[in-house]
Amino acid sequence: MRALAPAVFFGCAALATVVVRDAFFLDSVVLILIWGTAAAAWNVAGGYAGQISLGHSAFFGIGAYAAALVVTGWDASPWLGLGLGALIAMAIGLVIGYLSNRLRGPYFVLATIAFSQVLLIVGSRWRGFTAGSEGIPVPFRPGFWTLGIADKRVWVWILLGLALLAYLVGLYLERARRGYQLVAVREDEDAALSLGVPARWLKVAAICVSAALTAACGALWAQYVGFVDPFYVFSVDLSIRFALAAIIGGLGTALGPFLGAALVTTVETFLRAQFGGIGGELVGIYLIVYGCALIVMVRWVPQGLVGWVRERLARGALGRAAP
Amino acid sequence: MSLLSVAGVTKRFGGVVANRAVSFDVAPGELVGVIGPNGAGKSTLFEIITGFYRPDAGEVRLDGARLTGLAPDVICRRGIARTFQKLRPFQGLTVLDNVMVGALTRTRDVRHARARARELVGTVGLADKAQAHARTLSTGQRKRLELARALATEPRILLLDEVTGGVDQRTIPDLVRLVRELHAGGLTLLVIEHNMRVITAVAQRIVALHLGEVIADGPPDAVARDPRVVEAYLGRAYVP
Repeated sequence: MRALAPAVFFGCAALATVVVRDAFFLDSVVLILIWGTAAAAWNVAGGYAGQISLGHSAFFGIGAYAAALVVTGWDASPWLGLGLGALIAMAIGLVIGYLSNRLRGPYFVLATIAFSQVLLIVGSRWRGFTAGSEGIPVPFRPGFWTLGIADKRVWVWILLGLALLAYLVGLYLERARRGYQLVAVREDEDAALSLGVPARWLKVAAICVSAALTAACGALWAQYVGFVDPFYVFSVDLSIRFALAAIIGGLGTALGPFLGAALVTTVETFLRAQFGGIGGELVGIYLIVYGCALIVMVRWVPQGLVGWVRERLARGALGRAAP
Repeated sequence: MSLLSVAGVTKRFGGVVANRAVSFDVAPGELVGVIGPNGAGKSTLFEIITGFYRPDAGEVRLDGARLTGLAPDVICRRGIARTFQKLRPFQGLTVLDNVMVGALTRTRDVRHARARARELVGTVGLADKAQAHARTLSTGQRKRLELARALATEPRILLLDEVTGGVDQRTIPDLVRLVRELHAGGLTLLVIEHNMRVITAVAQRIVALHLGEVIADGPPDAVARDPRVVEAYLGRAYVP
C-alpha cells in the first residue's frame, strides 16, 4: 500500500503524457507537479523539522529571478540560472536557519514573512537589476537547453524528474536516521538535544535543502509561464499555497504535499472556470475556499489526508487481527 | 578516580543564587542521591551538568575531561544522559520511535537502532506499548519511556530527575526496582528524589542541597540524621 499510492500518483502524471492531448489538462498536470514539488520542499522544513515558514515564496522568487535574469542578462542557459538560484537560496537558507535557532514559534513565522516582503520590495523597486514592478518577460528560444519548450508533455517529464527528487528527499526523511532525529527536534527540541541529536545544524540543513528545492521550482515555473512578476513570485499568497498543500496532504509525509497540491490546484482551477471569466463577480472565491479548507483540516484532520488514510488502514488491520 | 566531578559550580539568576560553589564527585558504579527542599537548586544543577545552563563559575568534568561550555547534544554523546522532571516524551511518536531517537545517537544503522530500542522497551517493561503513541501513556509509563530513551544513548552516567514524582503509590516499587536493576548492571547514577524513603533505600551516598549550597554529603542514614538537613526540611524546632 505504501509503495502503491506514490506509484499510482506519479504513474498517472507520466501516463498523461501518452494518452492526453488536451492542452488545458496537461497544463493542470504541470501545475500540480510544480505546486506539489514546492509543497514537498516546504514540507522538509515545515513538516519534518517543524520550522513553519510563511515566507517560502522568497526562495521561489529567487529561483524564478535567477533563471530569468541569467537568460536576459547573460544570455546563458536557464538551467544555469536554476543552479545559481538554488545556491543563492541555500545561502539565504543559512540565514533563515540561523534565525530559526534564535526565534521560536510565531516569531520565526513572522520573520520569514518579513523576509519575503523585503525581497518583494527589492524585486519591484531595484529597476536597474530586476526591471522593477513591470516584471521580466522570459524570451522564448526553442530547445531543451534553453527551456524553450512548447510541448507541455515535455514539461510534464521535466517536472516529474524534480518532483521525484523532492519525493525521494521526503522518503529519505521518513526512513533514515536524520529523519528520525529531525522529527524529534520538531516534537521537542530540548529533549532531542538531551539525547545527543545535533538539533541546531539539522534544522539549518533542512531549511537549506527546502530552500534549494523551492528555488528550483521557481526557476522552472518562470521558464514554463514565461514571465516573472515580483508581486506574484514574492507574495504571501504563494507561501500560503505551499504550506496549505502540505498541511492538507499531511505534514511530515513524503506523498502528502503532492496529494494536497493536486486537490488544491484542481479545486482552484474548477472554481476559476466556474466563477471566473470576464465580468465574473466571484473571481476570488477560491481564496475563500482556501481559508475554509485550512480551518477544516487544522480543526478536524490535523494529520492531513495521508495521515488520515494511514490511521484508517491501521485500524482496519487491528480490527482484522482481533478475534 | 571519580567519573563525574562537579567543582565550585555557581549559578545566579538575577539576584537569586540557585547554586553556590557546589562541589561533589561521583565514582564509577556509584548511585548517588541528590536531595533538598523545593528551590534548593537540584534541577538547576542537573541543567548545568547536562549543558542546558552555563554556570557563572566552576566546572563539570567527566572522567577528567571538561564539559562546561559544551552543547547539550555534545555532552550526551560524551556519555551523560538525563530524564526530565517535567516529562518530555516526543508526544506524536510511538514508544519505539522515541527510544530509537536515543539509539540513533550511537548507531547510524536504523535497523540496528530499532532492534536496540525494542530490547530497551522490554527492559523498562513497556513491550506491550511499543507501538502506542507516547501521548497515550500514563505518567508512570512515560517515566519508563524517558528512562529507556536515555539508556539508548548508552550513557556512562545517567541523571534521573524525580523518578517517583507524580507517580501513584503502587507504581513506585516497580520504578525503584528498575533503578536498582540498572545500578546492579553496572550503571552509574545520579538521582534527584523527593521521597526520602526511596532515596535512603537505593542510594549509596546522598548529597543534600539547601538554598543552592551543599549542606551534607555522605551515607544515607548519616545525611538523614544530619541536623542541618533536618533543619532545612522541617525547621529549627525539629532539630534534636
